[in-house]
Amino acid sequence: MAFWKLFARNRGAVIGLVILVLITVMAATAGLFFPQDPFSLAGQPMSPPGENGFLLGSDSLGRDVAAGIAHGAKTSLLIGLLATLVAVFVGIVMGALAGYYGGFIDNLLMRLTEMFQTIPSFIFAILLVAIMKPSIESIVIAIAVVSWPAVARLVRGEFLSLRNREFVQACHTLGMSDLRIMLGEILPNCLSPVIVIGSLMVATAILIESGLAFLGLGDPNIMSWGFQIGAGRTLLRSAWWVCTFPGIAILLTVLAINLVGEGMNDALNPRLRERS
Amino acid sequence: MNFRTWVGAALCAAGLAAGAGSATAQTAGGTLVYIVQPEPPSLASFLSTSGPIGLVAPKIYDGLFDYDNDLNIVPALAESYEVSDDGKTVTFKLREGVTWHDGAPFTSADVQFTVMEVLKKVHPRGPNSFREVMSIDTPDDYTAVFNLENPAPYMLRALSGYESPIVPKHLLEGQDPRNSDLATNPVGTGAYKFTEWRKGQYVRLDKNENYWKDGLPYLDRIVGRFIPDASTRTAAMENSEVMYGAYGAIPNIDAVRLRDMDGFSVTTDGYSMINPMALIEFNTKESPFDQAAIRQAVSLAIDREFLIENIWFGYGKPATSALSTNFSATGLYKAGLPNYPANADVDAAIKVLEDAGITADGDGVRARAVLDLIPYGEDWRRAGEYMKQALAPIGIELDLRYEDVPTWLKRVYADYDFQINVNYFYQLPDPVLGVHRHYGSDQIRQGTHFVNSSRYSNPELDALLAAGAQEADAAKRSEIYGQIQEILAEDMPVVNLFEMQFLTVYNDKLKDHATSALGAYGPFERVWIEE
Repeated sequence: MAFWKLFARNRGAVIGLVILVLITVMAATAGLFFPQDPFSLAGQPMSPPGENGFLLGSDSLGRDVAAGIAHGAKTSLLIGLLATLVAVFVGIVMGALAGYYGGFIDNLLMRLTEMFQTIPSFIFAILLVAIMKPSIESIVIAIAVVSWPAVARLVRGEFLSLRNREFVQACHTLGMSDLRIMLGEILPNCLSPVIVIGSLMVATAILIESGLAFLGLGDPNIMSWGFQIGAGRTLLRSAWWVCTFPGIAILLTVLAINLVGEGMNDALNPRLRERS
Repeated sequence: MNFRTWVGAALCAAGLAAGAGSATAQTAGGTLVYIVQPEPPSLASFLSTSGPIGLVAPKIYDGLFDYDNDLNIVPALAESYEVSDDGKTVTFKLREGVTWHDGAPFTSADVQFTVMEVLKKVHPRGPNSFREVMSIDTPDDYTAVFNLENPAPYMLRALSGYESPIVPKHLLEGQDPRNSDLATNPVGTGAYKFTEWRKGQYVRLDKNENYWKDGLPYLDRIVGRFIPDASTRTAAMENSEVMYGAYGAIPNIDAVRLRDMDGFSVTTDGYSMINPMALIEFNTKESPFDQAAIRQAVSLAIDREFLIENIWFGYGKPATSALSTNFSATGLYKAGLPNYPANADVDAAIKVLEDAGITADGDGVRARAVLDLIPYGEDWRRAGEYMKQALAPIGIELDLRYEDVPTWLKRVYADYDFQINVNYFYQLPDPVLGVHRHYGSDQIRQGTHFVNSSRYSNPELDALLAAGAQEADAAKRSEIYGQIQEILAEDMPVVNLFEMQFLTVYNDKLKDHATSALGAYGPFERVWIEE
């Protein structure tokens, strides 16, 4: 497969993919290896790693850090993917309309996009979650709301450059509807950069979610890495393992997604095909 | 006529001398930066007893009295007082020459207005503290005569600047005290004047040059900083950005560490008037906690020692009754009551539920509810997470909800839009002051914070509470409170969790900050910083 060949040329991307697959497997099998609720008080509080039957130690209430990481992987990946899907969808709609029609619609939509872009995204996310009350839905919405403008601008740029190409004009002459041209002709031609930006956005979404949970704005009923770090940070000097392992989990996941994104960029971007 | 008379001025001087008796001479000047956590919703201590208000407002407002660490009365705005033989007339001789921060003179009219129009009407605990006060006469500018319906010895314990701040009549008269400008721009007679409140950052108070205690305060300025993050607070203490943090501002785990470091100390002094109790309030008007059995089951299923050991690092004592064991000194505490295990008794809890016919559905769930939590820091969140786990085995499934202070206060005390709420109350030096407000039917006061949010109403208990408040004979009083505690251990509109021991962490350079029984809620007029 040509795509895989191009992708595999970037060794980092392959390593990233392996890590990502492992994390996905961990998230999928969390319930098998740790059948208990990750919040359950599993044993002796503040046990160091390896003691009292805790692989990665326990926190101040005796919750298993390893179970939290496994279940938290589910939350992080789920929120990352969901938020990205919503953001990409909104971004494509806005960008496509603005780029394809131009003029007044373009002006209107792009000013709107800029309005969102001028607000610092993390602070905006905090604000949204605080207003909507912390829950998994409000976090997904908040992350999507702060993430879509980048996609919209990218898609608009692509549409602008593609809409006057000869194949598009040919479609016009054939009497195709605008919608069909947008979805069937232009969009497939600008998907590669969208896929790349989307994959990187998953990483950002995971970071935002962790940041929110760290600040206590996560869904209090759902285990996440950010929550673990937030709950453990007051113990940092007496129980280092409570924050350290979830921190490593976030680091690895975000790094892996970035590597994969980079690899996809290499594979999908024709201009970079000759890059070694 | 046999008056119990007591002249304050001499004692006041003696108290000052005792305070000054430490080996080194006080250094005047300097700024004290201390932690105020969380940021107070207002500075209206006459409206709310919310903890962070107490950390700031008593520096601005004086009370009639202050109290030393042995709970003896120390004169403040009142120089002396007299109680008549029948206990129904209390006459306060007020200090002359005291002025408000805006320059207006302080007179007996302010005392009359404060008690009758403000504290008795809108203060959370005022209606209780001053329940017997029918009227206040002001024969002259410096005499206030409280006319009581029945003797009220506990009232004299409720006159500190924290509990009953004296507010300026000329700035509040004719307004609704609930919506007054004074809430964010306080004007008192206290050692420090309000200067600036930068939201989200700090509140700054400057020295009152015309303070009625000569030569005091020593400090030029005090700044209460709001630092929302617990480990940042600890770091600020460690690198001396702040010098004082009370009421758990420094988490116990860090307090224990700082205690063992040079230059810092930890004390549990300064809380003797407060008598704090961690507890659960139930909405007894709504399912599922409208049944006593399920409330008992909650009490039985919680491991109080686990909470104390693992969340509060050993500082605390399991609750065993509606009253704190600190009331055993006055004979009011009753031991050996049911439904207050130190360690969880899941089997007993399930039995109570089964006996009451509260059965589990297919998922093993008997009741679902949202748990609200006092938003005063990480410890409470951990407690909420613990509760969720502790109640799952008996089939009570909780969802956790965290909100900010004003939203939470409104939800619990104004909208009654809650089911189960973790909180802490101060039981204060007498149950009339601190405990009655949980349970009395007359304490169902919508919109007033920290009163009977459970909306529990029991005529039999109301009668006992009324009798307990008036009873002068110690043995009879003890018997009445025994009955009260027996009823409450069955009905449990409120489940007490544990008697809290707060920690104050301070920089060793800070001196004389614990001269008042009120500790961090004291006036701080004698605090000074060693160079």
